[in-house]
Amino acid sequence: MARKLGIVTLMVGFAFAVPLFAHHGAASFDSGKTVTVKGTVTEYVWSNPHVLVKVDAKDDAGTVQHWVLEAWNPVTQAGRGWSKNTFKAGDEVSMDITPAKNNQPVGEIRGRIEINGKEFKQQNANF
Amino acid sequence: MSKRLVASIVAVMAAGISASLLHAQDEKWNNIPPTRATYRDKKPDGVAPRRNLTGIWDTAQALGTSGAPEHPALLPGGRGSQGGQEDEAGIAKPLPYTPAGLAALKKNKPSGPGVRQVDSVLTNDPAGKCDPLGFPYMFSWEFRTINMVQTPKQMIMLSPFYGNYRVIWTDGRKPPADPDPRYNGYSVGRWDDDYTFVVETTGMLAKTWLDHAGRPHSDKLVVDETFHRISLDTIEYTQKITDPVMYTEPWIATNKLPMHLLPDDFDIPELLCSPSEFAEYNNQVATPVLRDSSKK
Repeated sequence: MARKLGIVTLMVGFAFAVPLFAHHGAASFDSGKTVTVKGTVTEYVWSNPHVLVKVDAKDDAGTVQHWVLEAWNPVTQAGRGWSKNTFKAGDEVSMDITPAKNNQPVGEIRGRIEINGKEFKQQNANF
Repeated sequence: MSKRLVASIVAVMAAGISASLLHAQDEKWNNIPPTRATYRDKKPDGVAPRRNLTGIWDTAQALGTSGAPEHPALLPGGRGSQGGQEDEAGIAKPLPYTPAGLAALKKNKPSGPGVRQVDSVLTNDPAGKCDPLGFPYMFSWEFRTINMVQTPKQMIMLSPFYGNYRVIWTDGRKPPADPDPRYNGYSVGRWDDDYTFVVETTGMLAKTWLDHAGRPHSDKLVVDETFHRISLDTIEYTQKITDPVMYTEPWIATNKLPMHLLPDDFDIPELLCSPSEFAEYNNQVATPVLRDSSKK
């Protein structure tokens, strides 16, 4: 396996159908996989076209990987219950993401989220 | 009880009341529309007013992103949303392309889901640069909540997406004969009956796309829309594409899409496209995930 995931857990979700309403640029991401990224938030960017959460997470060798995790746009995220205050630098997080096909530390936030040990339950949204 | 303790209690109570008031105030802003599931079993309700579309209307994001909703760029069963094809061979409801239309289609590289989706940084989608989308692209993708304002001579449609607006003239004027092209074209509207408002739009810029799947159009494009108010709380929206340069026959892009009436104090959140933020997104996300850097 090209990338050591360390405390990052790999789950393969072959049962997931490819979402009809995937967003633009989804061709670069592996919708059949889910990776759980655990680490420390370094920056939270409330921007278009996608809200970004940057997380430092160590791999098996103890090397820090600088993850850039994208959500949807601010309006859709607001519908999910997010706000400009959902994350802050220093938060310890665990997030299920769809990883990039080319194994770069970039992903789409698409599942369970924990912030400082507590699950952040997202509201239903259209996307 | 000491004065200091009383003062502390009063301060805490005041802070609580202020927080409640602020929360109540905030609920008046950046309202989020109901989800599609909310409308699943809901029947159209109330008596439609005569010749009136004024209001805040929401589609519950029912259009999706795989192109014109009646002809999504997907294989049967919804497969093929992650690209790989040069053309749209095999899609469930193919479009009647002319040879020129097919050639134009292949030049457009969509990042939107569909059988031809490319990596985000390889797209030439106007949306990939925050370029104006124009009409009808604005009404085939991210068509969410719009504010419709009716005046004696105009129907004005205000969209939070791109801060776009359309003016549809209802004063009886004819479409321009040989117009300089515009992103949103030139729209004229009339009431077919007391509950059916029809719009004809011409003069759109040929470089714009029809939808997020990269369907092309020429400067001969005519878009016919029908806003059928079937009840107080529901409009059915239909859009027809006619472009003899790109398509051998007219086709329906959107068919009776329900638009739901929202409260008149609903505050629509803005959804703008910022070129500098998009560039930063491309820098931090779209470029690093490009599957084959030699293609860049």
